[in-house]
Amino acid sequence: MAKKEKSYNESVAELKSILARVEKEEMDVDDLSAEVKKASELIALCREKLFKADEELKNVLKDLEHE
Amino acid sequence: MTEAREIFSLFELNQAVREAVKLQLPNRYWIRAELSEVHPNRNGHCYLEFIEKDDSNRQIIAKSRGIIFANTFVLLKSYFEEQTGTAFTAGIKVLVSVSVDFSEVYGISLRVWDIDPNFTLGDMARKRAEIIRRLEEEGVLDLNKELEIPSLCQRIAVISSSTAAGYGDFCNQLENNAYGFVFYTKLFPAIMQGERTEASIIEALEKIYVHADLFDVVVLIRGGGATSDLNSFDSYLLAANCAQFPLPIISGIGHERDETVIDHVAHTRVKTPTAAAAFLIEQQAHTLGELEFLQRGIAHRIQSLQQQRHALIENICQRLTYIANFKTKTMLSNLETIRTSFAVAVSCFSTGKKHDLAMMEQYVQLVSPENILKKGYALVLKNNKIVKSVNGIQVGDDLQVRMADGSVDVKSIKK
Repeated sequence: MAKKEKSYNESVAELKSILARVEKEEMDVDDLSAEVKKASELIALCREKLFKADEELKNVLKDLEHE
Repeated sequence: MTEAREIFSLFELNQAVREAVKLQLPNRYWIRAELSEVHPNRNGHCYLEFIEKDDSNRQIIAKSRGIIFANTFVLLKSYFEEQTGTAFTAGIKVLVSVSVDFSEVYGISLRVWDIDPNFTLGDMARKRAEIIRRLEEEGVLDLNKELEIPSLCQRIAVISSSTAAGYGDFCNQLENNAYGFVFYTKLFPAIMQGERTEASIIEALEKIYVHADLFDVVVLIRGGGATSDLNSFDSYLLAANCAQFPLPIISGIGHERDETVIDHVAHTRVKTPTAAAAFLIEQQAHTLGELEFLQRGIAHRIQSLQQQRHALIENICQRLTYIANFKTKTMLSNLETIRTSFAVAVSCFSTGKKHDLAMMEQYVQLVSPENILKKGYALVLKNNKIVKSVNGIQVGDDLQVRMADGSVDVKSIKK
């Protein structure tokens, strides 16, 4: 389950690098589209982690009681 | 052989001791001691046991029973607990004013008349300072504080008493947070006051440790209360455990006054369970803010690039249009000029030609024989052929002289 947290941080790191790339003027229109799409996906993923309940995790924690 | 010895009864001996004590120690005395047992009774009296340990704190070098009678105890207890913020229980060191009672049946008993809470406070502070110094020496004091609270901080291991109101408030607040963040909490119940606090919390920490990868932080909370009993949290063992725990610990043990050692070693200290929940929600809000910042940054950049591209294309379009217009105008203008010149040329040409024609006509007319004849010239013909030279004429030839208005036959007479 630690990978859950890593992937949030990884996503944010990737978003930061996308921002850095996009801020350098020399991007091709097609590359730009691809980056924007990727960024949207990452942002959606992050938001999901923040706002949407992960039932699997809930169950894992609940089951800890029975150890 | 019988010896003459004085025999006393036990009662007589004890009486003598009682007298001696009354004589030697008639007053009240302030003594400092540790409470090793505290037993409030149904009848309102409080039965105590005082001890004193040697410098190594291992050997008991003195022990005595004590009592606080009901009417004193009621006042003393509330005064003490209010002043120190800690419960009047076993384990604390006190400074009390006592009188020495001796009863034949029960032996020595120290009757407590008064207490100085500052001594206990001072002792508590000293103990705390000692623990902190020791932890610092061992290099573990700041370990927990050096941990980082993760960006995504939503899996919370809670150490609390399940019955404490504080725990309920904490969970409620997290569940109903205004942002809609999702949190996952798991309670690891523990005793949060009294002597068993240390062992109970350490046990809870150990349970969490086994599953440390399932959690982001540990929250240690309990509700406030009249008797906060901070003392149980001033434990070296508990502090050492907390300091070296691999997850950040948020301590919200619910008191305003002092800091316990746990507050010193925990990553973050908050005043109440509610404040702990607020802290966690704030962390997530910060994370969300970061995310939105990135989102806006990218969106803004994209928009800016789009605008730039747009502007560039617009610009090129405009310039092309302008150039096209300009060139067209120029060409039209040139064409017009050519047309005009041509028209002029044509006009001149025809005028010229007309003029030439007129000139020619005039000329032709001028040189036409009729015109010349009219001028007075005459044509001389011989045998109907025009003669231009006198050599072609012999004397006596028959000639014809043609003039403008007719002809005359003549003969040449003389040359």
